[in-house]
Amino acid sequence: MTLLNIGLIGVLGLLGVGFYGLLTSRNLIKVIIALQILAKAAVLALLVAGNASGQIGLGQSVAITVIVADTIVAVIGMALAIQVRRQMHTLDVVELARLRG
Amino acid sequence: MATWLMWMTIGVPWLGALLVWRLGDERPNAQHHAAAVFSLLAGGTALALLPFVGETAVSRIPVGGVFGDFTLVADGLGVFLAIVATVVGSLAVIFSGAYMHGAAQLGRYYALVLLFIGAMAGLVLAGGFLLLFFFWEITALCSYALISFHNDDPKAVSGGVKALIMTQVGGVGLLGLALLAYGYLSSYEINTFLAQAHTLPAAVLSIAAFGALAAAAAKSAQVPFQTWLPDAMEAPSPVSALIHAATMVNAGVYLLARLYPAFAAVPGWKTAVLTVGLLSALLAAFMALTAHDLKRALAYSTVSQLGYMVYAVGVGGVFASQFHLLSHAVFKALLFLSAGAVIHAVGTRDMRQMGGLGAMMPFVRAVFLAGALALAGLPLANGFFSKELVLEEGLHHGPLWAYVGMLLGAGLTALYTLRMVAMVFYGETAVTRRVHDASPRMQLPLGVLTFGSLTTWLLAGPFTRLLAQTLPYHALKEMTTLEMAVEILTAPATALALLVIGLGLSAWLLRHRLHRWQRPLHPLAQAAVQSFGFERINQQLTVGTKGAAAVLSRTQTGQLNWNVAAIVGALLLVLVVLSWIVGWLVG
Amino acid sequence: MIDLLLILVTLVFAVQAFRAARLLSAALWLAGVSVLLAIFFFRLGAPQVAVIELSVGAGLVTVLFVFAISVAGDEPVALRSLLPWPLAAALALGAAALLGWLTLPLVGVEGALAERPLAELLWQQRGLDMLGQVVIIFCGVLGMLGLLAEAKAPLRQPVAAEVAARRERELEEMQQKALP
Repeated sequence: MTLLNIGLIGVLGLLGVGFYGLLTSRNLIKVIIALQILAKAAVLALLVAGNASGQIGLGQSVAITVIVADTIVAVIGMALAIQVRRQMHTLDVVELARLRG
Repeated sequence: MATWLMWMTIGVPWLGALLVWRLGDERPNAQHHAAAVFSLLAGGTALALLPFVGETAVSRIPVGGVFGDFTLVADGLGVFLAIVATVVGSLAVIFSGAYMHGAAQLGRYYALVLLFIGAMAGLVLAGGFLLLFFFWEITALCSYALISFHNDDPKAVSGGVKALIMTQVGGVGLLGLALLAYGYLSSYEINTFLAQAHTLPAAVLSIAAFGALAAAAAKSAQVPFQTWLPDAMEAPSPVSALIHAATMVNAGVYLLARLYPAFAAVPGWKTAVLTVGLLSALLAAFMALTAHDLKRALAYSTVSQLGYMVYAVGVGGVFASQFHLLSHAVFKALLFLSAGAVIHAVGTRDMRQMGGLGAMMPFVRAVFLAGALALAGLPLANGFFSKELVLEEGLHHGPLWAYVGMLLGAGLTALYTLRMVAMVFYGETAVTRRVHDASPRMQLPLGVLTFGSLTTWLLAGPFTRLLAQTLPYHALKEMTTLEMAVEILTAPATALALLVIGLGLSAWLLRHRLHRWQRPLHPLAQAAVQSFGFERINQQLTVGTKGAAAVLSRTQTGQLNWNVAAIVGALLLVLVVLSWIVGWLVG
Repeated sequence: MIDLLLILVTLVFAVQAFRAARLLSAALWLAGVSVLLAIFFFRLGAPQVAVIELSVGAGLVTVLFVFAISVAGDEPVALRSLLPWPLAAALALGAAALLGWLTLPLVGVEGALAERPLAELLWQQRGLDMLGQVVIIFCGVLGMLGLLAEAKAPLRQPVAAEVAARRERELEEMQQKALP
């Protein structure tokens, strides 16, 4: 079992867990956590690919972009969650779906 | 220096857009003045670019190896169109000061107009396909927003949406072209593409070529996409002048002229281009003949004249097409702005409710006549020289059937122009209210444009030099103005064209005697009113797009978990297909 | 071997992040995932990203989560999933398994690591991305402002009722104005 294969297993596992979380979570903050896990899978995949192709530098540069974007997504998501909670007194996405106009 | 001027030509109007918008609608006078100042400044910087013109005048912003550099190139073609966009645009802005007096939401209006002008300058100066596409889409966005400027009027909104959808359909062609160029040459640079186009596989090059044609036809409102332009007439008149003369519609012709050297050898492409031009010129001329709305008639005449330019590119007359573009930009801006003055005074766009306005608006009549002279292609106006040049190129380098068609188009142009002039300015008046002539603030841009309509043909010599020296791939030859004038005046084709134009004019004058002929032509007129069926096709396209959007939006239940399930399901589907392909490849 | 263990523990942490009843513990499990992944990144030969993951992923984001949870309230989440869990599991597992079938195992690939320095790559090769990142970070700052912004008067009733009440109030005011 090489390092790269182990890395790939990690990617697949994180993707599976992340998808499952996104499919079943009803709490907005849990949804953000699921997104974080999916993004981490992407970062890991980029680094594995970088390592495999011998261009770990390129992989790292892209991974940094992903981390930045993903952090900002988390920040905005949480800001939204806080405001939603303040305005509507719930974080349940099923409840929130009723706001659809 | 050239670098700075190029970025300023784009940046100054955009800065002005921001500033006018921030000024706030409580200070309309400041907004009028600021917009005029910024557009004039943009015109000034574009003109100041002239001494620096050359293919070496390149501004390069490195944005990393993945995308290539962002480049602006100040070659003759780009600078010329940037000047048209900013100078004619600034005249339209000055005219707006009077036309939009007292209108609400001036900030939005001027900000969009200035954004539009800047984006058009960027479009023609861009040296790479990616940047070109970026500016291309900004102009589409601005045209949509300006056509629907009166957003409480459903007709204006649907006209805007139509323009947006149509030009997006064309935009896909441009995007395809850009991606193909990048895929095969690993560069978005237009000049690289022109130099190495012949190394592309023939099939790929022809896809790119027809993609460019689709993009150009949609942007320049050519057959079969022509119907968005008449519907764009819901916009305020200065915006119509801007879209029709200075900015939007020129982009398509520009694209064809710019890429002509790369695609000239593609089998069937030149014929397709000239056919599109011919059909647009003829069909739009018929439609202009049957229109009762003054602005609509002018819009059809724009489609028709753009058809001449496209036709010129199709027969290889790149210079002729650009020369006609210059003439058209000036005289069509003049016609639209003076039509705006008429509409402003009369309060209707229906020509049947006008008539006899000449006595009440002598100034507007004078300038409109100058524009009409140019549109009809009568001697001494700029339209005469440029149209003759187009026709001559067509006679020498194009097929005869197309030439005959274009000649017929010239006659029809004269006919509908005279009809327009007669219905608006002469005959019995149907106007009951007191009509005022154009205000001094309107007269200034009208006067400048009238002067231009009568004189821009004198620039032919310097213009050929400008293009010939800076476009290495187009192989244009230089001429002086005198040579051109003599060539045109002595060519037998000119006499023929003038004869046809004369026939067109006399057809209007003798229309009462010709009414026996009108009956067989009646079905044709009916078809023209229906836009020869294209209106239906385009409408279905627009309605279909909107309907698809409505249906698809129903699947957005707002239930996050189910939405994610759909996404993951789609991923699963893609993966299954992929595994199937992999299995097939392995096994 | 140690790598495999590392990844397995990471996955367990990730599962725990969803199984946790309280949001606060979920956030802490997530931080654990970050730390373990950072170690794995280091072993993959990506020390810079490892450090960033450690400081941003495990540090900054966790702090933000804790802050957000303390503001939004940590109600125990015992809501039943909308999707039947077998369907969710089938979708998630199916996607992961198919991806695995397509990619695994990587045979005979063992990357060489000699390369240009990261800084050069970042600033020269990917200049446009960096520009985009600056914009994104700016948006993030704006988002933070939203996060920290004082709440407006919260709604006392469900939104629809609130809107209806306001409309009624306005109508009344208009009528009163029209009366005299």
